[in-house]
Amino acid sequence: MRRQEGYAFALSRLVARLGGRQVRRAEWSALETYGVGLLVFGISCVCAGRVLPLFVRATVLRVLLFGALPVLLWVTFLLLYYLVSLFIRLLRRFGLYSAPTNDPVQHLFFVWLTTVLSLLLVAKGSVWLQWLGGLWLGPLILNLISIPIERLLDQDLR
Amino acid sequence: MAPQWWRRFAVRGVFWRQYLDFGVTNVPFYLLPVTIFFWTIFFFFVAAPARRAVLANLRIIRPGASRLTNYFRTFLTLHNFAWTIADAADHKLAGTEFAYEVEGEEFLTQLGRAHGAILLTAHMGNYDLGAAIFAQRFDRPIRMVRVPEADEQTAAHLDASLERSGGGAVKVAYNTSSMALPLELLAAIRTGEIVSIQGDRPVAHASQRETRLFQQVVRLPDGPFMLGFVAEAPIFPLFIVRTSYHRYRVIARPPIHCRREEGDRNVVIAEAMERWSQTLEEVITTYWAQWFSFVPIFPRAKG
Repeated sequence: MRRQEGYAFALSRLVARLGGRQVRRAEWSALETYGVGLLVFGISCVCAGRVLPLFVRATVLRVLLFGALPVLLWVTFLLLYYLVSLFIRLLRRFGLYSAPTNDPVQHLFFVWLTTVLSLLLVAKGSVWLQWLGGLWLGPLILNLISIPIERLLDQDLR
Repeated sequence: MAPQWWRRFAVRGVFWRQYLDFGVTNVPFYLLPVTIFFWTIFFFFVAAPARRAVLANLRIIRPGASRLTNYFRTFLTLHNFAWTIADAADHKLAGTEFAYEVEGEEFLTQLGRAHGAILLTAHMGNYDLGAAIFAQRFDRPIRMVRVPEADEQTAAHLDASLERSGGGAVKVAYNTSSMALPLELLAAIRTGEIVSIQGDRPVAHASQRETRLFQQVVRLPDGPFMLGFVAEAPIFPLFIVRTSYHRYRVIARPPIHCRREEGDRNVVIAEAMERWSQTLEEVITTYWAQWFSFVPIFPRAKG
């Protein structure tokens, strides 16, 4: 039985197509999902970890907060989802947004947030943090380039 | 008794179902793994009765394992459960497609062509999504028998979800002590409908009898087999298990027949139940992390 292939991002689809595989736009790739998710969450964690010592002086409290950082960040993300959803509700009320789900806007927000944090890491971080920022920015740029290329390929096929 | 507003926030309360709907329509797909992971940790501690039941069942299914290992396996089971309900909500609200492969294609095709049949499944994998996929693939309505939810609002929410995800082709019927249900199901089968029943957990006030599962004497519902006997309809064991992110496997097994001409009703039903428990045991052995039996099934585990 042939495994059906589907990717959400243009870059993944383009790479697969260049490799001669038949793909479609679908959220079916665990690698893509877990990779991007860990990167978004990881970059936020690292940035929060860098900011934490500026506000917390006591060593014990610092250690405790560092340990609880992923959980605190998860709670922060839950709050962000809610706040962005309120903004989307406002957009819907004024007829500026009508998609059935809110995740496209939430996606834009989190891509924007991670890009800003990555730029900060590249500008002000140590070498490995610059690499981490680059790990987000590089594929992001390649993905943006892949979108028009994929469209051109689709037009040629028609 | 807890006040009405507070019951909404109980583990089986409607608040969490509504919050799940909010989550799948708001969280970008790549942040779902992180979100689901932390929510599983939360419910691992909060949903203590479910955790204890899974742990008790695992002691029988995977004997000889350390307590710590079984705690980890329980977490894995709850994590899979979180994914399956999130996927079902995602399918219902966002129309998200899932990739699936079929094991036992010929039996699934037989079921799709059958004029009246019983689809026998378990609290395993994504049975809600499975019913919706089946109804859409074969363009056939399906009547799903469920155990009533403890919370009325949750029950209403689930009914609406199932009927919406199945595009109106999935109808829910509740397994209560009422005598009307068997007659209703019998009529449905005779008119060519497919009736889906979960056969891995006895329900209070519903007919049940003893059989063996993992070398233990357990009580399982015999209603599906009596229905198969009276309606002379085949019983198809079918499971849908999660294999990876947004990927599922439909497992269809050979049909079980309860034929009148094969002898005494009790003997025929007992034999059919034995075949079902063997099938169930095989599938649970492989996919133990997706058996969402949140009540202890085995007598030893209960004690």
